[in-house]
Amino acid sequence: MNVQAFLSIFISSVFIYNVILSRFLGLCPFVAISKNTKQAFAMSAAVTFVITAASAVTWLIYRFLLLPFNLAYLRTLSFVLVIAALVQLIEMVIRKTSPVLYRAFGIYLTLITTNCAVLGAAVLNIDMFFVNGKAVAGSFYYSVFQGFCMGLGYTLAMLIMSGIRERLELCNVPKALKDFPLAFIIASVLSLSFMGFNGFKF
Amino acid sequence: MRNKLLVSGSPHIHKNESVPRIMWTVVLSTIPAGIAGVIIFGLSALWVILLAVIAAVATEAVFEVWTKNKITVMDGSAVITGILLAYNLPPNVPLWLPIAGSVFSIAIGKQVFGGLGQNIFNPALVGRVFLMASWPKYMTSFARPFSYDAVTSATPLAALKEGKVLEHLSYLDLFLGKRGGCIGEVCILALLIGAAVLLYKGYISWHIPASYILTTAVFMYIFGAKQLFHGDWLFHVLNGGLILGAFFMATDYVATPLTIKGQLIFGVGCGLLTAIIRIWGGYPEGVSYAILMMNAATPFIDRYTKNRIYGTK
Amino acid sequence: MKSLIKEFTKGIIKENPTFVLALGLCPTLAVSVSVANGIGMGVAATFVLLGSSVIISLVKNFIPNKIRIPCFIVIIATFVTIIELCLKAYSPVLDRALGIYVPLIVVNCIVLGRAEAFACKNNLLSSFLDGLGMGIGFTLALILISAIREFLGSGQILGHTLIKGFEPVFVFGMPSGALLVIGLLLGFFNLLRNRKT
Repeated sequence: MNVQAFLSIFISSVFIYNVILSRFLGLCPFVAISKNTKQAFAMSAAVTFVITAASAVTWLIYRFLLLPFNLAYLRTLSFVLVIAALVQLIEMVIRKTSPVLYRAFGIYLTLITTNCAVLGAAVLNIDMFFVNGKAVAGSFYYSVFQGFCMGLGYTLAMLIMSGIRERLELCNVPKALKDFPLAFIIASVLSLSFMGFNGFKF
Repeated sequence: MRNKLLVSGSPHIHKNESVPRIMWTVVLSTIPAGIAGVIIFGLSALWVILLAVIAAVATEAVFEVWTKNKITVMDGSAVITGILLAYNLPPNVPLWLPIAGSVFSIAIGKQVFGGLGQNIFNPALVGRVFLMASWPKYMTSFARPFSYDAVTSATPLAALKEGKVLEHLSYLDLFLGKRGGCIGEVCILALLIGAAVLLYKGYISWHIPASYILTTAVFMYIFGAKQLFHGDWLFHVLNGGLILGAFFMATDYVATPLTIKGQLIFGVGCGLLTAIIRIWGGYPEGVSYAILMMNAATPFIDRYTKNRIYGTK
Repeated sequence: MKSLIKEFTKGIIKENPTFVLALGLCPTLAVSVSVANGIGMGVAATFVLLGSSVIISLVKNFIPNKIRIPCFIVIIATFVTIIELCLKAYSPVLDRALGIYVPLIVVNCIVLGRAEAFACKNNLLSSFLDGLGMGIGFTLALILISAIREFLGSGQILGHTLIKGFEPVFVFGMPSGALLVIGLLLGFFNLLRNRKT
C-alpha cells in the first residue's frame, strides 16, 4: 500500500478508464439526466456515495462470507441483492435524518438500485484486487478508493456533459441528432480528448 | 445624398467588421507559418495543406446542401479549420490522411452541432485527435527538416519522452523551425508574425495565449527536470505545438469562455494540462488534448464567471 | 395467432431495444469490438431474457406486488449465474473477452424492463415469444454495431479480411469509436423515422 498505487488508481479510474466514457457503465442516467446541471450533480453525488459504500460492503461480503464457504459463484446474485438492500437502507436513513438532502437526491437513489456502475465497480474491485481467491495486500482500501474514484469520474463526465448540453439547447442542431444521438457523439469526442492521459506514468 | 439626410435607428456608427472579414484575416495570418512549413519540409507539405482545405470546404458545402441550411463556405471558417488541421499534421503523411481528417473535423467537430458559431470543440483539433487515435503510425513519424525526402526523425519532444539523446539544437534553430514536427508548428517566428497581426487587429486578446504559455513555462520550469526548479522552460515553449495552439487554436471564438476571467482560467487550465501530459503522460505532446479538455469545460467556466448584471447582487 | 406473431416481431424492428428504446446500451457499446463478441453477448442476453421471462410469467401470481422487483432480480441473477458458469466452463476465451459485462446482464435494463412491462402481465407463450423477439432484436443490433466497428477498426469481419489495402481506422476499436457509431446509428434511425412520418 503506497501513495503511488492510490495515485494511479485515481488517474486511471477518473480519466483513462472513466466509468462512462470508457467502460460505458451507468449510461442510461448519463444521457437521461445530463440535461440540467443541478440534477446531474445531485445524481452524481448519489452515485458516488452509493458506489463507495457498495465497494466496501461487497468487499466484506466476498472476503468473509463467499470465499470461506466456497460460494464465489454466488457473487453476482449476492452483490445485486446487497446493493439493492444497501440503497434502500441509505434512502431510509436519509429520509429520516435529513429531509433536505432527501429532497435533493432522494429520487435518484431509487434509480441507482439497478445502475450498472455500482455493480460494475463491485465486480471490478473483486476482479482486480483478488488474485487466485486471495485478497492482495491493502485490497480493502484499494477497493473503497477505486469505488470512490469511479464515482468521481462519473461526476466529472456528468458535469461536463450537462454543461455542454445546456449550451446546446440554444444551438441549431440537426433534427435527427437532437438529444440522444448528439449526447453520444459529444461523449465520443470527450473520450477522444481524455485519451491524452493514456499511458500516464509517475 | 438623400440617404445621408435620413436619420436611421441606432447604432449610428458602424465598424466595417463581419464574420467573413475576420475569418479571412485569420486565414491571412496563418499564411506565414504555412510558407515556412513548405520551405522547411518541401512541396509535400503544400499538398497536405491544399488537400485539407479543399476537403474541409467540400464537406461543409455538402452538409449545408444536405441539411438545407444557408451555404456559408465562403465565410472562410472551413478554410481555417482545414489549414489548422493541416498545420497539425506531419508533412510526410499519405495524402488521404488530411482528407479523412478534414471530413471528420467538419462533420463531427462542427456540423453535428449546427455549424458555424455552435461548435463545442475546436473542429481542427477534433480532427487531429481522431487521426492520432486512428492512424498513430502516420501521425508520429516526422520528416527531417530540409531533407525533402523520406528520411524521418523524431521530434525533440518525442526524443525526450523516449529518453533518447537529443541532437543538439540551439534555441535559434528552434525559433526558426529547424526541427522535425508538424507542418505549421515548427517556425515560431512565422507564427508570431501571424499572431501579431491578429493581436494588432484586436481579433484575439492576449489573455488566453499569455496565460497558457506562461503557465506551461512555469510548470515546466518547476517540474520539467529531475530536480525541482531546473526545467528547461524555453525548450518546452519553443517545441511542440504550444505557440500554434496558444495563438490560433485556444483562441477559437466559439469554444472558449466569454469573460476575461474565464479566459484566464481557460489559459491556465490548458497550460497545466499540457505540461502534465508532457511530463507524465504517454504522449510526447499534449497541446491538442489540453485545449479539447478545456473546450469541454468552457460552458462550466462561463457559468461561474458570468459578469454581474448591473444592479443585482 | 396474429397477435402472437406480433409479440415476436415487435422486438426485432418496431420496438428494437437498442435503436428504438435505447435500452441496455452499456454492454452494446462495451463488447461490440468484434462480431464474435457481439454474437456471444447477444446469445447470453437472449438466454437470460428467455429464461427470466418464462419463469416470471409462470410465477407471477405467487409474487406479492410490493416485492416483485427484488424477486425479479433474484430470478434474473440466477440465469445470469448459469450463463456465467457455462461460459467459464465451455468458452474461457469468450468469457475473458466479455469480462465484467456478463455479470452485468443482471442490471441490463432490457431484461428487467421486459420482466416488469411484459412478462409479469402476460401468459407463458406470449412472454416466451416476447423474450425471444427482444433477444433477437438485441442480438441483431449488436451484430450490426460490431460488424461496423470490426470492419472499420480492423478491416476484418469475423477474422476475414474484406478489402485489401484498407488502412484500419483504429479509433473504431476504442471506446470513443463505439460512442460515435451508436450516436450516428441512432441519428440515422431517427432520420428514417422522420422520413416516414
